[in-house]
This record gives sequence, structure tokens and C-alpha cells, in this order.
Amino acid sequence: MIERRVRVMNEAGLHTRPASIVVRKGSEFTSDFFIKKDGYEINGKSIIGVMTLAAEQGAELTLIFDGPDEEKAAEAMVQLFEDGFGEY
Amino acid sequence: MAATPDSYQGSGAETQPVVDRPDRAEIRGEEIVVNGVAASPGIAIGEIYLLRRDDGDADDKEIPEGEVEQELERFENAVQHAERALRSIISVTREKLGPESSAIFEAQQMMLRDESLYEAVVERIRSKCASASHAIDRVMTEHRQRLEASDSPYLRQRSDDLLEVQQRLITHLRRGELLTSVPPDTVVISQTLSAAELMLFSRRGILGCALDYSGATSHVAIMARALGLPSVVSLHNLSERACSGDLVILDGIRGRVILRPDDETLSEYQNRQQRFQEIRTEQRALAPLPAKTTDGIVFNLEANIELSEEADLMEEHGATGIGLVRTEVLLLMKGSLSQSEESQYQLYRALVEKTAPHTTTLRVVDLGGDKMLPLAHRESNPFLGWRGIRVLLDKPDLLGPQLRALLRASAHGPVRILVPMVTSLDEMTTFRRHVREAEADLQARGVPFADDVPVGIMVEVPAVALMAAEFAEVADFFSIGSNDLTQYTLAVDRGNDLVAKHYEEIHPAVLRLIQMTVEAAREHDIPVSMCGEAAGNPVMAPIFLGLGVDTLSASPIYIPGVKRLIRSISFADAQALATEALEARDPQQVRAQLREWFEMQLGHLPLGLDGQEWPERGSHVAASS
Repeated sequence: MIERRVRVMNEAGLHTRPASIVVRKGSEFTSDFFIKKDGYEINGKSIIGVMTLAAEQGAELTLIFDGPDEEKAAEAMVQLFEDGFGEY
Repeated sequence: MAATPDSYQGSGAETQPVVDRPDRAEIRGEEIVVNGVAASPGIAIGEIYLLRRDDGDADDKEIPEGEVEQELERFENAVQHAERALRSIISVTREKLGPESSAIFEAQQMMLRDESLYEAVVERIRSKCASASHAIDRVMTEHRQRLEASDSPYLRQRSDDLLEVQQRLITHLRRGELLTSVPPDTVVISQTLSAAELMLFSRRGILGCALDYSGATSHVAIMARALGLPSVVSLHNLSERACSGDLVILDGIRGRVILRPDDETLSEYQNRQQRFQEIRTEQRALAPLPAKTTDGIVFNLEANIELSEEADLMEEHGATGIGLVRTEVLLLMKGSLSQSEESQYQLYRALVEKTAPHTTTLRVVDLGGDKMLPLAHRESNPFLGWRGIRVLLDKPDLLGPQLRALLRASAHGPVRILVPMVTSLDEMTTFRRHVREAEADLQARGVPFADDVPVGIMVEVPAVALMAAEFAEVADFFSIGSNDLTQYTLAVDRGNDLVAKHYEEIHPAVLRLIQMTVEAAREHDIPVSMCGEAAGNPVMAPIFLGLGVDTLSASPIYIPGVKRLIRSISFADAQALATEALEARDPQQVRAQLREWFEMQLGHLPLGLDGQEWPERGSHVAASS
């Protein structure tokens, strides 16, 4: 199991569209994927879960990966967050 | 963005007009006659089954323990229906507006099977004996509250997306309930209906269907004709006037519905119903005979087909080929516009093989009118907007696979490719370059296709008719789309009640454009057909034939009527009529000429499928093709 800390960069926060991008990316990997924010933890492969994190711009999240391809999954996901989901 | 779950089917609630529209209802004693648009001919007399969206009480919160499995099944069905509705919306939105716009619907689709929704609802139904709708409400409200508590206005707004999913599910849940309780031998009245729902009803043995919305070329109308189910559409507020259990007459020939008919009307329509059966039988006998005038000129009558099921109607009604396949309808009925070359090939091939040795004319995808899109995504003036070839040339990824699939189908029988909404010559140059690229691709792969598949132009914009001589040089054939040509020439949206009366396919201006088109086609020795609704109307046919159109293409069901007419008139007389009509000053004068002409030829106007004279004008409103 590995953890990564990321920050939400885009102005609108982790809303519907970015949430769907996160879920789709997460589902490409077999590893379990969870996101934690202020003690609230959700399944990162659930779009409603990711949306209900209500992660606005600047929010700090902990990404947790557990499984055979956890390294790869973590790398891809951190990249997504750093790119701000193609939004500003 | 309030997409109704049914907006994918080309209907959905329209915006209310500011000005009162002319009422379509005439009240005669107890009787109420509501006029709409004939969508599928036939006469149905029976009790009303009213299907209303807001019908029914909210479901109970709990269900008996023994019904848990049944409730889970209801929920699963609702999810499947919502998935299907979203699939169509996504497909059209993605092609017309791009992935940015469809992303929101794709996200909604992901939510339907999301564990936080699906599994949470299933769990609630199982453990608490909650009804599906109550469970959905509880689960989604909790999720929404988390978002609404956010400090960010952006995120608070996103709770709307969750609400929309919730409403979609509830709607499909209620609807599913209503759908399965439709009794046989009733006339279904509803605001809207999807093609799939109509198919389900038809299996349950309903007599006919009357809808507030939709046009004659909507998916549901096409399905009604394929099923042979009498139907009327565009009846506006009929569903508000109707009551379940009341007696109703549905006239799918004239496009009207009569609520609470009196005895006299009832017996008249019982007679018409019988006449309809007799006439259908008589007409079927005409199927093997040629459409030959009394002076020996043979015309070609082809069928407009959208469903592979309809292809069977072709032979039965004596069509000699398919004159128009609206491929966007065919593709959407089978799921999506952007299907792979292979799956499109299979669809087209099936039609071509059924039609051979006759020709199949397939029109490349025409994304027009925007009626399938959710309101918020519509262009401000869609009919003057991004449609037809304009979309395709901007989207080679959509055009390429379709062209390759069409060319491959040509290995199985004669195929013609028809291009919609052309307005300039260079569009055809570019289009033909795409065709050559598709051919080169297939050749490189060693996949067979016919040489020189004809590529034709839809003549539906006055620009093309006015420059028909030039367009005839770049087209292998012309197909006149009378609906759009009339609408663009006269600047009339016939779906708009305020101006619908100005929509006249026999306006001299339209006739002169048709004449220019035919003249140019003749000089360049290319065939010219007509495929709008007017092509299936025997009252107008003699003018078009007299002008020199050599093929008429209409819904199969209208073909025998036109054939019967052709077999009873002389071509020389039709030419004389056309010459006279071209000189007319207004449509009223053309109608007077027609009436006089028919008086001489037949002693009356041609008879419709109910044995009554055809109306001089077609149904006064219908959605454009």
C-alpha cells in the first residue's frame, strides 16, 4: 500500500467532469484506490464518492493505492491532479 | 440543464410560445376533434389509456417483504432504461458538440452503476424493504447534502447533476410501471413515447397511439408505420383533454383524434375503418404491377426506409427500391451514430441484400434540426445551422467509417450515396475526395466494393435548385427533399402553428425551383427523384411527375395510393397540368387547377385510404425531415 498527497489545482474543484476523469483513470488499474479528505474516506473508483468529497480548489487529498500495480496507478493519478484535469 | 429522459427521441417538451397558438380543437356538442399530423395510417376506435408523466401517487415508502425481488427487478429495469436514454443523448451530443459537452452525460451514465448509488439502493431495498423510489430518494439526498454543504459555489451547483440522475431514475421507474400495465385493445395517449416503448405496446396489443409531441419523421412515427399501428402526432395538449376509459376515434389517415364521439360520428368511422381494410386489400393487388400511366410512361416508386424490419414492407407495397434511408435514424435506433465501419457495414448490407436487384439509396448522416439534443445544447437557429454535410466535412472521423461501410455494402447490390444540405460546389469536391480516400483504403485492405457508386445531392436548399446546371456537373443524381425545400423557400417552419398555414409544397415558387432542377438534370442526363412527404400524396403527384421527376420515394404504406393514381392518368395531361401550374400566381390558383384537372381525369379528387377524397392540402403541420 502506498499513499500520495495531492492538491486540487483547478478553479472549479473536483466537480462532476474531473470526478469522472479520476474514476476512469483509477479503473484502468487493478489496485484498490481510495481518497481521503479531512478524515472522510471514499472509494476512488466511485464517481459519486469522488464528487461527495466536495474537494474545492486548494483542497489537500490523500490518495491511497493498494494492489499489484499500485506504483503505476499512483504515478498516473498524481499526474492527473498536477495537470488540473485539463482545466484551470 | 433539464434534459427530459425522452429528449433523445426527437420529442420532449417544447418551450411555451408567448403568443397563444391557434387551438387545434373543434368542439361539436360533446365531441372534441383535435387535429394533428398523420403519422401512420389506419383507424382505431377504442378506450383511451392515458399515460401521463405526473400520473400516479408517489410510491409507498415500504414494500411487503415478499416483493423485494420484484422491486429489485423494477430498479434494474429503470437503470437499464436510463442507460439507454443517456446513450443516445451522449452519442448525438458528442458528435455535434464535442466531448466537452457530452462529458456531463457520460458522468451521469457512470453514476447509474456506481456502488454509492446502485449498491446502496439495492442494500436499502433488501434490508429495509424500501420501495425503489424511496430508496433512490434517500440515497441520493444524502449524497446531495454533502455537496450542498460545501463552501464552493461550483461544487454546490454540482448537486444538480446528482438530482438529474435521481429524476431520470424515478421517471423511468414510474414509466416502467405504467408501461407494463397498458391494457390491450386501448388507444394510448401520451405526451411523448420512445420508439422502443411503442414497440412494447404494440406487442401488448394496443390499437393505436396519439401523441402531443413528435413529428411525422420522428423515430416513434417511423416505428408506428413499420408496425402498421395507426398513429397521430403533434396533437399539442391532447393528453390534457383526454381521460382514461373514454371512447376515442383515432384517424391516422387524416391526422385527427375525436374525443367522446357521438353516435353519428362513430358509425361513420366504423364504415371508414371497414373501407380502409378493403382498400388495403385492393391496393395490395397492385403491388406486382408497374407504375405505368395510361399513355405508357413508367415511373419508379421507391420506399423511404429506416428500420430493417420495414424492408419487408417494400415488396408487399410494390416498391421497386429504397429511395431514402436516413442513416442517422437507422444508426441511432441501433445505439449510436459513431458505430464502427464493421457494424455499420452489417446494417447497410442487410438492407442492400433485401432490396437487390433494386437500388438502395442511403443518405449519409444528417445531424439536423437539433431536436434530439437537450434544450441547453441546441443552436439558436438549428435549421440554418450546423447540419448535413456541414457537420460531416468538419468531422472526418464520423464520415470516414460511414463511407467505407457504404462502399462495402455496394458489393452486395446496387447502392447510391446521397449527400444532405449541400449548398456549394466545393462541398461536393471535398466530399468526393473523402469517397476516393475511402475507396483507396478499402482497396489497400483488399476489401471488395462496387466501382463508381453514384453520389447524389439532396436538392433541399434553393441555392442548389437555382444553380442546378452547375450542381448537375458534380452530382450523379438529384433527390428533391420537398419538405426542406418548401420550408427554406417560403421561410416557414411548419411545426410552428402561427405560420404553418403558409407552408405550401405546391407554391409556384417551389414548383419553379423543382422545374429548374429537373431541367438541369435532363440536360446532364442524370436521374432526379423526390423523397419528401409530398411524394406520397396522390393529390400532388401529377404535378411533380408532369414536371419531369422520374422517381417518387415515400413510406411504403403510401406507395399503392400513388401507384393507383399513376395508373389512372396520362403523362401528357400531367405535363399540361404542370405547365399551367408553373404560371400560377399563388398556391390557391394551383389548387384550383388541380381540382379542375382531377375533375376531368377522375371526376373527383383521388381517394385516400379511408375511401374519402384526399384533402387538397397535406396534414397541415409536421416536423421537418
